[in-house]
Amino acid sequence: MWFGPNLQRSYKYMMFASKMPSLRIDQSDLKCKNGCDYFGNPQWQGYCSKCHREQMQRQRKAEKESSATLPKPEQKKPERGLRIPSHSSFSKFEEKRLRQSETLKKANLLKFSVFKKSSTDDHDHSAEKRPPEFKIPGIVNEGMKRDFRTRFPQLGPAVDRDSRLFVHSFIMDVIKCANVLSVDELSERVQRQYQRFMKHMDTSSHFANVEADTKELLMDFVEKHAMTYLHELPSVVFSPSGTDDERLDRAMSERIQQLSWVGERHLECKLDRNNPDCRQLLYKAISELLGMDSALSPGDKLSRVRRCCRHVLRLCSAAPASADDLLPALIFTVLKANPPRLVSNINFVTRFCNAQRLMTGEGGYYFTNLCCAVSFIENLTAESLNMDKKEFDCYMAMPASIGGSAWAAALSLCGAVREADEQRAHAQKLLTHTHNIHTRAEQLAANAQSFEEQIAKKVQDVLTKTPLEIKPRRELPRLGNLKEINTAPLIDLGTTTAQEEPQTKPEVTPEPLAATLLPTESTEPNITIQPETEPKLNILGFEVIERQSPSKSPQNLDQTWDLKQTSSLELLTPSPLGFTPFDSRSIDELMTPDEFGTDQLPPGLSNINYDIDLSDFSGDNSIAEEAPKSEPKDPFSPEALRKITTFDPFAPQTSKGFETALDSFDEFSFVDQRKQETDPFEVVHRGQDPFSPVELSKDPFFAPEKQSTSILDDNDTPATACLLPSPIQPQSSNKPT
Amino acid sequence: MKVIEAKIVVLGSQGVGKTSLVVRYIGKMFSKHISPTIGASFFTCNINLENARVKLQVWDTAGQERFRSMAPMYYRNANAALLVFDITSVNSFAAIKGWVKELQSNVPEAMVLSVVGNKSDLEDLRAVQSSEAAQFAASIGAQYCETSALHDQQGIDQVFLNTAAALLKLSNSNLVSSLRSYDSADVDPDKIPTGTPTEEDATHTGKVELPAWSIDSIAHGHVQKNMCC
Repeated sequence: MWFGPNLQRSYKYMMFASKMPSLRIDQSDLKCKNGCDYFGNPQWQGYCSKCHREQMQRQRKAEKESSATLPKPEQKKPERGLRIPSHSSFSKFEEKRLRQSETLKKANLLKFSVFKKSSTDDHDHSAEKRPPEFKIPGIVNEGMKRDFRTRFPQLGPAVDRDSRLFVHSFIMDVIKCANVLSVDELSERVQRQYQRFMKHMDTSSHFANVEADTKELLMDFVEKHAMTYLHELPSVVFSPSGTDDERLDRAMSERIQQLSWVGERHLECKLDRNNPDCRQLLYKAISELLGMDSALSPGDKLSRVRRCCRHVLRLCSAAPASADDLLPALIFTVLKANPPRLVSNINFVTRFCNAQRLMTGEGGYYFTNLCCAVSFIENLTAESLNMDKKEFDCYMAMPASIGGSAWAAALSLCGAVREADEQRAHAQKLLTHTHNIHTRAEQLAANAQSFEEQIAKKVQDVLTKTPLEIKPRRELPRLGNLKEINTAPLIDLGTTTAQEEPQTKPEVTPEPLAATLLPTESTEPNITIQPETEPKLNILGFEVIERQSPSKSPQNLDQTWDLKQTSSLELLTPSPLGFTPFDSRSIDELMTPDEFGTDQLPPGLSNINYDIDLSDFSGDNSIAEEAPKSEPKDPFSPEALRKITTFDPFAPQTSKGFETALDSFDEFSFVDQRKQETDPFEVVHRGQDPFSPVELSKDPFFAPEKQSTSILDDNDTPATACLLPSPIQPQSSNKPT
Repeated sequence: MKVIEAKIVVLGSQGVGKTSLVVRYIGKMFSKHISPTIGASFFTCNINLENARVKLQVWDTAGQERFRSMAPMYYRNANAALLVFDITSVNSFAAIKGWVKELQSNVPEAMVLSVVGNKSDLEDLRAVQSSEAAQFAASIGAQYCETSALHDQQGIDQVFLNTAAALLKLSNSNLVSSLRSYDSADVDPDKIPTGTPTEEDATHTGKVELPAWSIDSIAHGHVQKNMCC
């Protein structure tokens, strides 16, 4: 049924009829060996097609009868594909080269066959171990599944399974037969498989609802996946062992190199290498053609060819371009591209592409054109280029590197341009990227700015809403006496701290406030007159609790002035450790009302307490009593008041805190002791507390934001407030003593 | 409705106007836009007959003498051939005769042959008498038309229409296995007037059409014609 399929499937075969004129042999030599008066063909062993067919049939029959069971040995067909025209001028040179390459090829073949054998052996091993047959890697199956889902989402799972099953059996079949059958028989088999699948699609109920177009796509799908896998196997379908493909590839490549001098004028195609568009198109066409080798399935290769030819068509200046333009331009493209493994690729497509597609359609047409171009290049003579034989020989004798350099240069230029374009595009992308980043950074900066302003504004609002009113606070005269000794030198200090107060407030307050929220509430009812005092008191209380007073008390005892304070505290507080807040509060209350005494009258009870305590205390310090009289107005200034409060013996905790702060300052760096530093501030704030509890309550919210800036102030203030006083304080304390 | 898919190859010497003939024909289809990228070298079109539709794949060939030897690749598996010659050139007419011989010896299956004398507008320079050409056409069982790619749309349409009709007849005779025919219900013959070619969108998209050639026919199967050997 099948006769010499190798011949029929080879593009070479198609050449036969019209190649006769160029052979220049006597006509009688070309006649059929049988003498039937038709022309014979060397590929048909010198018979004409009919006689050859009969001959083959007879042979086959005989073969079948004799050795039906024996596997057919692989046939070597040196006649396939490219034949070196013996009359061409460079034949000797070429032949020598080819002989070399043939030995190479043989070595290659050997290598390949060894490799192949080992690989099949592997398959066999695995077959023995696990399933009875060579197993197709699961990745193929998975890939098919995925691809199927993306390409045919509308088709059911039955179709999917069928096609996968088919691909599986197809691959298995090919692998099984690859060693036994010759390439052409294999190709025939593959074609039959395609047919089988087509028939299956036509008959199977699974495919009843599938459109004809979709069936064709399915066919492509199946072909693609089967062939993609098979293509990877060495020497099975692509340049299979037992064929000359590799040698022919090499010969073709050399031939094209030899012909690199052939320019557009020889082929009479109108190309302008100075035209960048033209160069670009040619470059694209060439890269498509080169890409053909990297495509795996015949269909992909075919579509590469199609794309290449489309570029070539656009390359032809005449529109619409006809075959008269297309073919020379394509030949030129092939010559300039010198695609790798060209013959192998063409043979692969010819043998294993679904024949229906190959024979028809645009892809088929372009592929035919490519075959034409290749065969033209193979058989290129002086005549076919319309040039003088001598000139042609001259060109051919020339080293391959000389000719065609202009186009090579143009093309490499094109490549460089393209590369530059790509790089430029890349750079452009990077540029926009950086620009984006930049704008976003700016935006961020703006945001930060606006945020800062917002915060500042809020703070400002809060400040304006609750302005800093320093209400004069009056000291009890007796207390004042005590303080004046201390405060007199401290006045300047006090002013500085007073100015900084509004800023420092927010930072300092948060921690105590959080801790003291409850106490404030609880204390509020008690202290009706001066809300400001509550927080201070709380703060104080907090501190006191945190800092064990007992440990400090001994230190205080050493100091003359403090000793009194502590003593006063002890006097005031029932329990020196725990319940100071209440006592201190009461003290403050007592103090403040007296200061405000003119404006508001505090509850009498506190006064009474206060009087009692103070009198006791003042009694101890006789010197202190006199001092307030000399400076009765000073104490009213907030600084003075603050100082007073800080040194107030009646707020023993505060003084303690202050003392500890001082100690800490002496001992450690400011930064480390910030917590402790803040304590004295709180003491200071106490004086400023008059600003209102509202402010204080609000402060904590701003505090975190402002902290960074305020911390600096913080550092300053303690330095000024606490550091300086420390040297002064002893003096003041000493003085009285 | 019966649908036939066929491949038709345009043969002829260089300069006889194969391409312009084809361009003229496609030009009618692509009246709105002639895409230069498609070119005239390959296109598909549908021709609607009374009771069937013929899908034609037209393969243009390079006419230069040096590509003469490539022709077999093109006309392989063709179902029809347009043999175009220039009525002002005797040589081109002689070349037609060569082509016919070649086709007869190389194509095993029956083909629809159409002899087309082009450039009928150059009546003054006529070198091939139409009677002579018609006689030759009749001798090979072909139809003969004279066309002018420049002026005469009618003649060109007629060429393709005749070819389509002959192909339909050929497919009915079941002599040819490579001619794919199938029934299709999706065509409304009323919508498309008979004989008008319609553009096949596949041409644009580059979709590959797949008539079901039997594997046997591709490989010059066993259908033996007495023309070869």
